[in-house]
Amino acid sequence: MTRDRLEILAKKLMFEMNDLEYETLEREFEIILKQMDLIDGIKDIDNVVPMTYPFDLELDDSYLRDDISNNEICFDDMKINVKDYENEKIKVPKVVG
Amino acid sequence: MNKYIPVIGLEVHCELKSNSKNFSTAKNDEGEANTNLSVVDIGYPGILPVVNKEAVRKSLMVALALNCEIPKRLSFDRKNYYYPDLPKGYQITQFGNPIGTKGYVMINVDGVEKKITIQDTHLEEDTANMDHLSNYSLIDYNRAGVPLLETVTDPCINSSKEAIAYLEALRNIFLYLGVSDARADLGQIRVDVNVSLKREKDSELGTRVEMKNINSFTTVKEAIDVEIKRQTDILEAGGVIEQETRRYDEVNKCTHFMRGKVDAIDYKYYREPNIPEITLTDNFINSIKKVMPVLEYERKIKYTNEYGISTVDAGTLTKNKKLSDYFEDIISYGASPKDTSNIIVGFLLGYLNKNNKNISDIDITASDFSDIIKMMTDGKISNKQVKDIFTKSLDENINLLEVAKSIGTQISDKEEIRRIINEVFKENTKVIEDYKNGKNVNGFIMGLVMKKTGGKVNPGITNMVLKEELEKL
Amino acid sequence: MTNKLIDEIRDALDSRLVTSDELFDESVSKAYKYQDKFNCFVTILDKKKEKKGNTVLQGIPYALKDNISTKGILTTASSNILKDYIPLYDATVYKKLMEAGAVLMGKTVLDELAMGGTGTTGHTGVVRNPWNEKRMIGGSSAGSAAAVALGIVPFALGSDTGDSIRKPAAYGGVVGYKPTYGRISRYGLFAFASSLDHMGLFARSVKDVSYVMDIIKGHDDRDMTSLPDEDISYVDNLDNDVKGKKLFYIKEAVEIDNDSEELKLILDNFYKAIDECKSLGMEVVEVSFRKDLLEAIYPSYMCISCAEATSNNSNLTGIPFGYRVEGNNVNEIMMKTRTEGFSELIKRRFVLGSYVLQKENQEKLFLNACRIRRLIVDNMNELFKEYDALIMPSAGDIAPLFGNVSDKLSDEYLILGNHLAIGNFGGFPSISIPSGFVNDMPVSVNITGRAKEDYLVLNMASKLEEALGFKGQVKVDE
Repeated sequence: MTRDRLEILAKKLMFEMNDLEYETLEREFEIILKQMDLIDGIKDIDNVVPMTYPFDLELDDSYLRDDISNNEICFDDMKINVKDYENEKIKVPKVVG
Repeated sequence: MNKYIPVIGLEVHCELKSNSKNFSTAKNDEGEANTNLSVVDIGYPGILPVVNKEAVRKSLMVALALNCEIPKRLSFDRKNYYYPDLPKGYQITQFGNPIGTKGYVMINVDGVEKKITIQDTHLEEDTANMDHLSNYSLIDYNRAGVPLLETVTDPCINSSKEAIAYLEALRNIFLYLGVSDARADLGQIRVDVNVSLKREKDSELGTRVEMKNINSFTTVKEAIDVEIKRQTDILEAGGVIEQETRRYDEVNKCTHFMRGKVDAIDYKYYREPNIPEITLTDNFINSIKKVMPVLEYERKIKYTNEYGISTVDAGTLTKNKKLSDYFEDIISYGASPKDTSNIIVGFLLGYLNKNNKNISDIDITASDFSDIIKMMTDGKISNKQVKDIFTKSLDENINLLEVAKSIGTQISDKEEIRRIINEVFKENTKVIEDYKNGKNVNGFIMGLVMKKTGGKVNPGITNMVLKEELEKL
Repeated sequence: MTNKLIDEIRDALDSRLVTSDELFDESVSKAYKYQDKFNCFVTILDKKKEKKGNTVLQGIPYALKDNISTKGILTTASSNILKDYIPLYDATVYKKLMEAGAVLMGKTVLDELAMGGTGTTGHTGVVRNPWNEKRMIGGSSAGSAAAVALGIVPFALGSDTGDSIRKPAAYGGVVGYKPTYGRISRYGLFAFASSLDHMGLFARSVKDVSYVMDIIKGHDDRDMTSLPDEDISYVDNLDNDVKGKKLFYIKEAVEIDNDSEELKLILDNFYKAIDECKSLGMEVVEVSFRKDLLEAIYPSYMCISCAEATSNNSNLTGIPFGYRVEGNNVNEIMMKTRTEGFSELIKRRFVLGSYVLQKENQEKLFLNACRIRRLIVDNMNELFKEYDALIMPSAGDIAPLFGNVSDKLSDEYLILGNHLAIGNFGGFPSISIPSGFVNDMPVSVNITGRAKEDYLVLNMASKLEEALGFKGQVKVDE
C-alpha cells in the first residue's frame, strides 16, 4: 500500500490528512491486510454467498409501503441547520468539475 | 476507405408518477421549491428508506412491457459518490439484481422491423434539482428521492434513426402504461448515450464514448450524428478513440471532453443493508399483468390484421395513446373501425393540425362520434357531409349530433333524386346535346347535382338514377 | 433514588415518597456532580418533559446515547462535524419512551460516530470508569454505561455494532443488552454499519432491561428491517425455570497461551459462573469452534463495518445540515468541512472502508469478509440447534488503563476480546451481566442466544444474575 494510493483514497472521500496521520494509516493497512490474508487461507469460502443481513426476514411484497404522501418537514424547519439559503433554496458556491 | 458501423447503447431515466417518493412519504410533485420534503430524502443522520409499493408496481409494469425476466426477490444497492445534489452521499439503486433483465422492444424504421434488446431496467431515486447561477448554485430537494426507472439497452442500435425510433417506442410504453408523463422538456425523461464504431468486418466493438443527461430526443439524434462523425474522422486519420465522457454542445453542434477513463468514478456499489430482500409473489405479478393495457405495438398489429386499416394509418393512430384510446372508444359503440380510421386520419388530424389543437382539445363523445360514422357507413350521409358536420361542430362548439340534424341527412330517395336530376337537365340543355353527340357527361352532371344539393345526395343512388334518366333521353 | 432498581423507584413514586420532579432533579444534579470527573454527558437537559404514559416507566429519568435523534435537542454523535446539529425528528425509541412517560434527562458521550471501543474519542473529551478513574469505561456507548454505573439514571440507551454496549457494560459493572437485530427499531439511530447496528440498553438488573425492552421493542413501519411484533412480555418470562437448558462455551477462546495473571482470574470467575449455571440445573458444555474463523472475526468485522460506515457517513458534507466550513466552491466546502469535522481515527476507518469496497478489492476483501460472516453465523446456528445459548466471559481483560490501549489496529489478537461481534454478525440477542471483580474492577459474563429468542436469553440471564448476586450493582461514590 503506497502513500500515493492512500492519498487518492482520502481525497475521493473528501478530506485531507497530514503526514503523521498517513504514517499511522500505512501501518494500519499493513496489519489489516495481513489479517485479511488469513481470510484468503480459509477453506471452502468460494462457494459461500456473502452475507448482507444477519438473517433472512422472509418478507414478501405485502410488506412494501402503501403509496400515501405526507410531507414531514418544511424548509422553515430545515433552516435551523442550514448555513445559507436564498428564495427557500439552499445556497452553495459554484459547483466545479 | 473503411466502412464503420455505429454501435449505440442508450440509458433512459424516467421519473415515475406516484403520490409519495420512492423511499419516503414526501410528496412526489414538483411544486414550489423545497415544499415536498422528508428527513429521509435530505439524508439526515439516522434515517431509513422504506420502499414504495407503487414505484415497484409501476417498474414491474414496464419490465413486463419490455418482455423482461423478473427476479424472484427484490433488492437494492448503494451507488456511492459525492455531489451536492445527492444528499445522502449515495443513491439507492439496483445494481446486481435489477427489477427487469433481458427484455426487448420492437421498433420500425422505414418499414423495417428491428428488435432492440434491453439489458435491464432498474428502480432508483432521483437527485435534488440545482440551479447553477453565475457564481453560486441553489438546491431544491423536491426532486430528491422521486422514483426513477433506468432502462438500459444492449449496444445494438446502429443509427441515430434507430435510436430515435427506440426512444419513441419506449416513451410510448411509459405513456401507454401510464407510469409517467414522460415529458423530456420537464426533465421527466433523460438520456445517456454511448457511441462506438466498429469496422464492418470486425466482430469486436470499438471503444465507447459516453454522453450524459441529454433531455430531448432531437438533441440525442444530433449528438449521435456529431459523435459518429467525430469518431469516423479520428479513425480515418489513423487515430485512436479514447474511452471518455463527453458533453454535447447544442449551440455549436459538437461534443466536448469532460473526463477520461482515469477519472472514472468507482461507485463502490454494495447491497443496501436497510432494505431486506423482498419476495415478489406470483399473486402480485399476476395482479399487475391483469391490468396491463394493450401497448402500441400490439394495437398496431390488431388494427392492420383485424380491422384492415393500412399500416401507415394504424401507425398514426397508435403513435398517440390518447388518440388510440379515443379510436377504440368510438368503435366500441359499434362504428366501423375502418371508416372511423378514415375520418380520424383523413380528416380530423388535419383539422387539428390546421387549428393548432390536439386530441385532448376535442370534447366530442365517443358515442356521438360513433353515431355519425354509422350514418356514413349506412349511406345516410356522405363522406363530405361528415366532414362538414365535424368542422361546424368543432368550429362553433356545437354538439355533433345537433349539427348533423341541422345540416340534414343525405338524400337517398330515388324519386327525389330523379326530380333533382331532371331539374339539372332543364337548366343545362347544352350538356344534353353533348350527351346526344356521344360525349361522356356522367361525371359533369354528378358534379352539378352535388353542387345543387350541397353534396347531400347519395352518390351511388344518384349514379344509378342518372344512368336511367340518360337512357330515357 | 436514581441509583435504585426500577421496581423500587416505581414503588417510591406510587407511594408518593418521591415525585418525578424530584427524581429528575436528583438525576440532573448527579449528572452535573460527576460531569467533570467522568464526563458522561454531551447535553444535560434542564427542562423536564414528561408525558402521561401510565407505564412502569412513568416519571422515571433516563439517558440516551448522543447518536439517537431527538427533535429539537442537540445530537452530536460526539463528532465535531455534528457539533451544532439539531435533529428535526424523533427516533422511534425516543418516541416510545416519551409516550411511556419516561423522562429524558441527558444525551451521553460516545466514541466519535460510535466508531471506537475506548470512550476516549468523543469531541467533548474522555469518559472515565466510575470504578477507577484511571481506567477506561470502554465504548462506544461510554457515557451511557458510566451514567448507569454511577447511579445517575436507572437505565440508558446505547447502540452496539461490534460490542459497543456489552463491553462498556462489562467494564462498568452493569447489565448491557443487545437484542435480536430488528427487535428495536433503528429509525433515528445514526448509522455506523447498518447491517451490524443494534439499538440496546444498560440497566442495573436484567429485570430493568426487560421492563424497558417491553416498551421499546416491536415493529416499526419506518424500519424495514424491524421484526414483526411478538405477543410476549419479557418481564413475565424472567422467572421461568431454566432447568435442562443447554449452554456451550468455545474451547478455543478460553485456551490461554500466555501467563497473564489477570486473564487467569477472569477465567476463574467465568468457571464459577458456569458452576452457578449448573446449580440452576443448566447443562454447560465446552465446544470446539473453527479457530480460523474465530481469528477472522476481527478483520472481517473491520472490513464490513468500515465499508458500511464510509457510505453511511457520506451525508456529512456540511451542505443540507451540520457543520460547514466555507470555501470558494462546493468541493472545497465538502473537503474542508470533512477535514476539520472528522478526527484522525474516523478518517483512517473511512479510508479502510473505502479501500475494501473498491472495485478491484471488493471481491477479495469486502465480499470475503461477508462470506466469513456467513460461515461464522452458519456455524453458530448449527450449534444453536443443540444448545440454547453461548456463555462466555464478556471480555478477556478488565477495563484498560488510559494509554495502554488505543484504537489503532494491532497485531495482538485475542479471541476473548472479539467474540462479542458474533452477536452482531448473526443478529443474536446477547447480554452481559456482572459476575464479580478482578483486581478491584468489575468483570462480567455474556450470554448469547438464538435470533428472535430474546425472552429466553433474558430469562437465563435473570436466573444467573440472581445466583451470582450482583443484581442492582452500582458504584456508590458517597
